Amino acid sequence: MNTLITVSLLGIAAMLSEVFRFKKFIQTVFIAAVTGATGLAVLDWGTSYSYFRFMVLFDDYALAFSILFLVLTLIWLLLSQEYFCNENTRADYFALISFSLAGAIILSSFSDLSMFFIGIEILSVSAYVLAGSNRSDIRSAEAALKYFLPGAFSTGFLLFGMALIYGATGSFNLSNISLWIIANHSNLPVMVNAGVVFLITGLLFKIAAMPFHNWAPDVYDGSPTPVTAYMSTIIKAASFAAFYRLFVSCFSIMADWWTPLLVIAAAITMIGGNITAVYQNNLKRMLAYSSIAHSGYLLLAVAAINQLSKPAMLFYLAAYSVASLGMFTLVNRMGNEQQLDKLKGFAHDNPFYAALITLLTLSMAGIPPLAGFFGKYYVFLSSIRSDLIWPVIVAVIASLIGVYYYFRIVYNMYSKPAASAHVVSLSGFDKSAILITALLTLLLGIAPALIADII
Amino acid sequence: MGESAILVLIISAVVFSAGGILAGKLLVKSKPSKVKSEAYECGVQTIGKSWVQFNVGYYLFALIFLIFDVELVFLYPWAVAAKQLGWVALIEVIIFLFILFLGFLYAHKKGALRWM
Amino acid sequence: MNLTLLLIIPLLTAVGVLFCRNAQQVRWLSLAGAAVQFILVMALLFAFYAARSNGNTDAFLFSERCMWFAPLNIQFITGADGISVSMLLLTAAVVLAGVLVSWKEETMAKEFFFLLHLLAFGAYGFFISLDVFTLFFFLEIAVIPKYLLIGIWGSGRKEYSANKLALMLMGGSALVLIGMLGMYYQSGANTFDLIRLSEVHIPYATQLQFFPLLFLGFGVFTAIFPFHTWVPDGHSAAPTAGSMFLAGISMKLGGYGCLRVATYLMPDAAAYYAPYIIGLATIAIIYGAFATLMQTDLKYINAYSSVSHCGFVLLGIGMLNQTAITGAVMQMVSHGLMTALFFAVIGMIYQRTHTRMVRQMGGLLKAMPFIMTVFFIAGLTSLGLPGFSGFVAEMTVLMGAWQNPKTMYRIATILACASIVVTAVYILRATGQVAMGPLKQHDEPLNDARWYEKLAAFILIAGIVAIGVAPFWLNDLITPGAKIIMQKIVSLSR
Repeated sequence: MNTLITVSLLGIAAMLSEVFRFKKFIQTVFIAAVTGATGLAVLDWGTSYSYFRFMVLFDDYALAFSILFLVLTLIWLLLSQEYFCNENTRADYFALISFSLAGAIILSSFSDLSMFFIGIEILSVSAYVLAGSNRSDIRSAEAALKYFLPGAFSTGFLLFGMALIYGATGSFNLSNISLWIIANHSNLPVMVNAGVVFLITGLLFKIAAMPFHNWAPDVYDGSPTPVTAYMSTIIKAASFAAFYRLFVSCFSIMADWWTPLLVIAAAITMIGGNITAVYQNNLKRMLAYSSIAHSGYLLLAVAAINQLSKPAMLFYLAAYSVASLGMFTLVNRMGNEQQLDKLKGFAHDNPFYAALITLLTLSMAGIPPLAGFFGKYYVFLSSIRSDLIWPVIVAVIASLIGVYYYFRIVYNMYSKPAASAHVVSLSGFDKSAILITALLTLLLGIAPALIADII
Repeated sequence: MGESAILVLIISAVVFSAGGILAGKLLVKSKPSKVKSEAYECGVQTIGKSWVQFNVGYYLFALIFLIFDVELVFLYPWAVAAKQLGWVALIEVIIFLFILFLGFLYAHKKGALRWM
Repeated sequence: MNLTLLLIIPLLTAVGVLFCRNAQQVRWLSLAGAAVQFILVMALLFAFYAARSNGNTDAFLFSERCMWFAPLNIQFITGADGISVSMLLLTAAVVLAGVLVSWKEETMAKEFFFLLHLLAFGAYGFFISLDVFTLFFFLEIAVIPKYLLIGIWGSGRKEYSANKLALMLMGGSALVLIGMLGMYYQSGANTFDLIRLSEVHIPYATQLQFFPLLFLGFGVFTAIFPFHTWVPDGHSAAPTAGSMFLAGISMKLGGYGCLRVATYLMPDAAAYYAPYIIGLATIAIIYGAFATLMQTDLKYINAYSSVSHCGFVLLGIGMLNQTAITGAVMQMVSHGLMTALFFAVIGMIYQRTHTRMVRQMGGLLKAMPFIMTVFFIAGLTSLGLPGFSGFVAEMTVLMGAWQNPKTMYRIATILACASIVVTAVYILRATGQVAMGPLKQHDEPLNDARWYEKLAAFILIAGIVAIGVAPFWLNDLITPGAKIIMQKIVSLSR
């Protein structure tokens, strides 16, 4: 709770920095507050308190995800240094980031459908603005619009689903809904089922799972790269945290009914995302499709819904997000032309950082001993425990396809540069971002128990 | 009862809307002419394109108005039950208004209220 | 004797290489690291003999265990029996020779040697692991460097070959992963511990379900038909040391996995599927031999003949008796040494003549007598001349195979025997064309082997001759390990 309050106040402070002219220090304030909020979350560890008449519940799940979001934000700051250069807009950006972080924390801690909705709206509305924040680029405006319209549309689905659930159960509170469903398990009204389907549809939109993914590539491609990094890591993690929390606490009793939906969505997302990524020549777009594909694996963890899937989700999200942030650092430095060819010669100029990026790429491809491998492994394990054998086979095939295009990135980095080509060069902040993400990736791979068994 | 009611609602909604359009198509004789297909602008001919850009100030004003509009929506239920809710609620409402005021300050400072 | 040392040394060497200033330092550090590994493995060999002669009859010696990842029951267990020790010997020899052969590698030397040592790290880890999970883990580590070695330092259609190889091998390991997870849950033991798993009796139905996954998965590595297609492309595109590692070590990972994991843990299913294994192995032997006849590129010749030779490994495993399994392991060691030598010498020839096409060469014996002598030795080992290791290994496999009285097995054995004749044809033809006749024109004057090349060839030839002339030491090493596997097959299938 203290974490949430700190982050919300931080957002207000960022706006006030515009009024009271302390914009220069806002970054320092931001770092201090986010670090402080992380510390507060760590201090609360092991407790489980409910606030505001059971609106939010800060249990270990919520705290673990909050810490994840905050730490990712701190790493993200490194790669987005230049994004905050403009004195005019920096207060706004910091405010938007803080608010969306507050939304993310709410999404990991809600215990009431109305809070769920508020969280998702705070998160999304900030993200719409951020997507369009490069005002000089028409593609950024296009991205914002393309993000906003499906986003608003999916919100409609979510609201309708919530209304149906409320209509059937008479409550917004997750535990009340769960109790009601357990009590009426034998003859559930169709309204509940319809509500669940609408909720799933809305959430699949939000996490850009197939077949509701069409907005994602353009949005990821058009947004300023730091924002893309933010969207494909923290926002995605928050959406999944909410997805899992909602379904495990409300609808786990009727899991047999809705898991097939998720499994099918997961299967086509994994296969479709990876196959489409193979055909991309633009690194940013490739990462966008790979991000869609990763949603598929995570959906599998949600569908498995057993004791293992909770740590599986947390681990996968941590591993994926950390590696993604490192990759996006590179994309960010590539400027406006993110063709894979432009990477040629990178390894020759920056052998050390090329090696680190290779590490990150391999982690995303799911190769031991890196974090991404354990994420996938964990997801597969929990799915097999829930007897989802064929989806695991699909997932394994999909990750093989993934290996192909991840290797293309590595291959290009180590190829000889074309004559007169401008080779990507990294700034100090970029280097530290890549170093930190690579170290974390390696650490989580060697000692996965560090975060795997905390929740 | 509940489910069949929804079903009936859906069916009747589809029938009603689709039926209206269909009936229009079938019954009305279509005789298009140039005058008919023009936009009705109080009888006056339109000048220029209809895709004019409005001054962005309109939107900013509308948005700020909307914030205070929504604020009132929150204040009404509180005002109705103010007595039962007591001091705590009063303080909470004041905090709420204060945060909104800070937002207003920000908007002002950003020049949102300046007409360009 | 601490087996973990075998992991630490390659890792330290690999990391150390990254901090070197110039190619000279990289070379010498790599050589030192490989030499230390070699000495360690030799020490291990003698420690192993000593322990055995002191009456230590444990299945796995030098065993150590520690918990790695408690929530999922993943442990880090090391241990070695005779089979692992012989595989370790092979690895150490090939690594040492590989480093020597790539002495003059100048482009991105750091990365090149780093990847070589990483590969060695994966291979050592694989051969000493007694936990199925860590086994898999090291298997994957041994795949990735290959992609880069071929993709970056390769020649010809390198991107295509690298992708094909990586995808097929990753596919194989993915099958292993699924089989492994299935075994974890369905065996009822909920453990990856190989020793524990070997003690429980995995239900028959489960064995039938997951044995094919594991066997085929590992089989892809050892070029089981029809998943052998990565072998020719991968080997021909790889740089010399890459080909040596690929054929000498990586293909053996698969054979070892088939034996240690699939057959050892699921003997019932092994007995059930044995006819299929033998069928595929025979096809690989015959097909490999005839496909080699059609090749004109030296690397392709050796790659296709590797498919044929590795068929003998699978044939030995499929026969499921002690002699045949011993023979299969011997064949793995022998083929590893022989093929590494072959690729090394092809690399040397290519460096000087800038061609690998048999028809464009001739009379090289006069120009570079040492290299050609080595080439002859490799060829004669390949065709199974007595006195070299190939003869001993293939003979043992075939003797074991003949013990099986079923008609179909007899036919398979006879076909496998017949393939040796085909081998003789292509080997003699290739060596004849390359070495004899008039010397063809080449751009540069041809010079003979340098000291490092001589040393590399010497190490590998020493191994080949040591097995060929006095096979008993290797036989004594492997037989107890094979016996343990056989005991399980015999006791369970009753």
